[in-house]
Amino acid sequence: MTLTRSLVLGLGALAVVAGTMITDAEAFERRGDQKILVVASRQKVPILDPSIKYDASIRTMQQALYDGLLKYTGTPPEYVPWLAERWEVSDDGLTYTFHLVKNAKFHNGDPVTAEAVRWSYARTLELGQGPAWMLNAVLKAENIKVIDDHTVSMTLDRVYAPFLSFVPWWYIMNPAQVMANEVDGDMGQKWLIENEAGSGPFRLKRIEHGNLLELERVQDYWRGFKGPLGGVIYRLIRESSAQRAALQKGEADIVTGLTPDEFEAVSKTPGMVTSTAPALTAFGLKFNTKAEYTSDINVRKAIAWAYDYDAFVKIFNGRARLQTSPFTDDIKGKITVPGMPYKDLAKAKEFLAKSAWPDGGFEIEYVYVQGFEVERQMGLVLIDALKGLNISVSMVPLTWANMVARGSTQESSPQLMAIFATPVSTDPDAVASQYHKSSWGRYYGTHYYDNKEVHDLIEKARYLSNWEERRPIYEEIQMRLVEDQPEIFGMMRERMIVYRDWVKGFEYSPVRMTSELDLYPLYIE
Amino acid sequence: MLNFALRRMAWMAVMLVGLLAITFSISHIAPGDPAALAAGPDATREMVERIRVEHGLDRPLPVQFALYLGNILQGNWGQSINTRHAVWDDLVLFFPATFELVVFSILIAVSIGIPLGVLAAVRQNTWLDHSIRLVTVGGVALPMFWLGLMIQLALALHFGWFPLGGRMDMMTDPVAPITHLLLVDTLLHGEFSIFVECLHHIVLPAAALSIPALASIIRVNRAEMLETLKQDYVVNAMAQGLSTVRIVAIYALRNAMLPTMAMIGLRFGWMLGGTVLVETVFDWPGIGLYAVESAINSDFEPIMGSTIVLGFFFMLTNLFIDIIYALLDPRVREQI
Repeated sequence: MTLTRSLVLGLGALAVVAGTMITDAEAFERRGDQKILVVASRQKVPILDPSIKYDASIRTMQQALYDGLLKYTGTPPEYVPWLAERWEVSDDGLTYTFHLVKNAKFHNGDPVTAEAVRWSYARTLELGQGPAWMLNAVLKAENIKVIDDHTVSMTLDRVYAPFLSFVPWWYIMNPAQVMANEVDGDMGQKWLIENEAGSGPFRLKRIEHGNLLELERVQDYWRGFKGPLGGVIYRLIRESSAQRAALQKGEADIVTGLTPDEFEAVSKTPGMVTSTAPALTAFGLKFNTKAEYTSDINVRKAIAWAYDYDAFVKIFNGRARLQTSPFTDDIKGKITVPGMPYKDLAKAKEFLAKSAWPDGGFEIEYVYVQGFEVERQMGLVLIDALKGLNISVSMVPLTWANMVARGSTQESSPQLMAIFATPVSTDPDAVASQYHKSSWGRYYGTHYYDNKEVHDLIEKARYLSNWEERRPIYEEIQMRLVEDQPEIFGMMRERMIVYRDWVKGFEYSPVRMTSELDLYPLYIE
Repeated sequence: MLNFALRRMAWMAVMLVGLLAITFSISHIAPGDPAALAAGPDATREMVERIRVEHGLDRPLPVQFALYLGNILQGNWGQSINTRHAVWDDLVLFFPATFELVVFSILIAVSIGIPLGVLAAVRQNTWLDHSIRLVTVGGVALPMFWLGLMIQLALALHFGWFPLGGRMDMMTDPVAPITHLLLVDTLLHGEFSIFVECLHHIVLPAAALSIPALASIIRVNRAEMLETLKQDYVVNAMAQGLSTVRIVAIYALRNAMLPTMAMIGLRFGWMLGGTVLVETVFDWPGIGLYAVESAINSDFEPIMGSTIVLGFFFMLTNLFIDIIYALLDPRVREQI
C-alpha cells in the first residue's frame, strides 16, 4: 500500500510540473517590435551557393538573399526587369545588353555593378554545377563584357531562344565578399555553403542545421517593400500532420508540402487562406520505349487508353487538372492536342490487338517513389485499369536515388516510371527538351524516346529567335509526342499552400517548384 | 577487471572495422548514384562526371575503402556529397542531440518502469497488475510513429502544454556549444530559463521514445521480481517480520535488477540507432534523421560516419553494462 501511495504521489507531482509548463499559442512570432513570418517546410536547405545547387527549398532562400537580372512573377509567369531595369537584343539575336539599376546594393553596402554581374555568371560557368547547364552550351565567360559600371553585355555562340527565360535563376553575388573568403582557389564555395553575398530583400541572420534558417529583412532594400515585416524563419517540419498542427497552433504562418488530405482538413479551419492554382509541373507515367512490350507503340497506346485518368484528379481530392497536351497550361505555345487518350477500354483493346501480344498475358513493371502515397495509389489504379487488357503490373517502390539510378540506362529503366517534372522556365523548349535524346538517362528522360524527326524539330525551334517561326514547330512537336505516346500524359497538380489570414502579399507563380515560395512580397498585417 | 575492459575494447576496434567494411559494401552495392543526385536533376553528363571525379567515386571500390580508412585514421571523416558539409561537423552537431534525447528517455523509462515492475509483482493478479500489463502490452505493440503523433496532437496541439517540436523555441538564440548537449550547455552557461525551455521541448519526444523501453523494463522487472520474491531468503525475511518495503526495495530488487540492467543496456543501444521516427515527428535534429537522409541520397561518407559513431556507442554501452553486471554480481566477477 505504501508503494502504491508513493507511486500515486509521484505521478501527481509530475502532473503538477507538466501543468506549470502550459503555454499559450501566439498569433505570430516577434523579435522586439518586428513581426517575424514563420515558414514551415518539409524540405531542408543544405546549400545556399547560387552557383552550386538549386531545388525548391534552396531556391526559396536564394531568391530571398540574392537578386537576378530578371525575375519571374505572375500567372502566366513572365520575367520582369529586376536588377536589369531594361535590356536590348542585337539584330542578329546574339548579343544581350543589360542596363542595371543604379541604386542596388549588396548587403555589405557595396554597389551592384556590371563587374559583379560578369563575375557571377563567369563563376557559375566555371564551376559547372547547379544552373550552369542552362547556358553553358551557348555562353562563354569571355563573351560577357562590362560596358560601363551599370551596363553588361553577353554574346551567345549562337541564337538561343530560351536564353532570357533562364536568366532569372542566375543570381548576382558580391565578388569582393566571396573572394575574401576563398580557400585553396575554391572561388568561395566552402564559404557560400552557409553564408551569403547577395543584394536580395533579406540577409542571413542564423542557421541551425537540420532545424531552421532565420532571415532578416533588409529594411532599406533598393526596391522597397509593400508592408511591414522584420524577418522570416524557415523552419523544417518533416511530417505533414505536424505541419498542420504548427499552423493551427500559431507556430507557423505559412505551410508548403501538405498531403492532399491534410490540406483539405486544414483549409476548412477558420483563419486559414489557401492557394491552389495549377503549376507548370506535370505528372506522367513514363514508358521506356526501348523496353520489352513498351517498345511496341500499340502496347503503349493500349495502356494509355486503358488508364483511368479521373483517378489522377480524385487522388488529389479534385485539386488537379488533366493535361490536354504534353505541354502544361502556362507553357508558351501550348495547344490542346486532339486525340489525347482518355479512358476507353474498347479503343485500348483495338490497339492491343494490333500489337505482338494481342491477348496481353504479360507483366510490366511500375516504379515509383517509396513512401509517396499518391504514386502508390496511381499504381493501384494502373493495376485495375490493365486487368481489362490481361496485363499485370508489378509495383516496385524505390528510394529516389535508386529510381534515378534505375532510369539512367535504357536496359535498366522500367517499363513505367511515375515522374513529376517541373520545367525551370516558361519557354516551350524547357518541356520539349525533356523528349530530346539529350535527356535520356535523366529522371524525366527515362522514356528513351527515339524519333529523329522530333529531335530535329526540337533543336530547330530552340535556335530560332522569331516566335512566329517557333510556334508552329512546337505545335507539331506536341502532336507528334501524343502520336508516339512516350508516356501517359497525366495531370497538373495544384500547388497546395496554406497561410494564416494575417499574412499578406502572397504572390503565386506557376513557374515555382512544388514547395517553393517567393518571400519578397510577404508581410504581416 | 581492468584486463577484461581492455580486452573488450580491443575487440571493439576489430568489430568497428568489420562494421565499416560491411556498411561500405552494402552502401556501394545499392544502385543509387550519389554524383548524379548531387549534380541535380538537369545536370549534363559532364557535370555529373566532374562531381564523381572530385569525390573519388570513379576509383575502384577497394581503393575507395582503403582511402576512407586512411582518412579516418588521420581524423578526416570526409564530406557529404549532397550538402558539402564536413561529416565530422555534422556528427558533432547531430549525435549529441540524439544522445541527449535517448538519455532522457531511458531515465523516464527506468524511473517509471522499475517501480511499476515491482508494484506489478508485489500486487500480482490484482487490478493494478492487470492495468500495468495492459499498458506494457500497448507500449510494445503500438507503433512509435503513431504514438508520437498522438502524443503530439493531444498534449501539444489540443492542450497546448508542450511545444510541437524542435530542441528549443524558434526565437531563442542558442547558447554557445560546449558539449552540444543543450541541457548541459545551458546549465554551464547559467542560462536557467533556456534550460527550462529545452526541458520543456524534450519531454514529448523523450516520452514517445521511452514507451517501448518502459514496457520492456516493466515486463522484465516484474518477471524477475516474481521469481525473486519466491526465494527462501525473502520468505525468511518476511517470517522475521521485516517490512515489505525493506524486503522488496533492499533485498529482492537488487537481485532482480541484473536482467533488467541487461535489458536497459540493450534498449539504450537500440534507441540510439532507432530514433528516426521520433525525430521525424518532433523535428528533433538528431543522428537518426541524418543517417536516414544520407542513406536516401546514397551519400556514402555521412552513412559511414553515422555507422561508426552509432556502432561505437552501442558497443560502449554493452561494455559498460557488462562492467556494471560484474560489479553487481560476484559470480560474474569470478568468471572474468
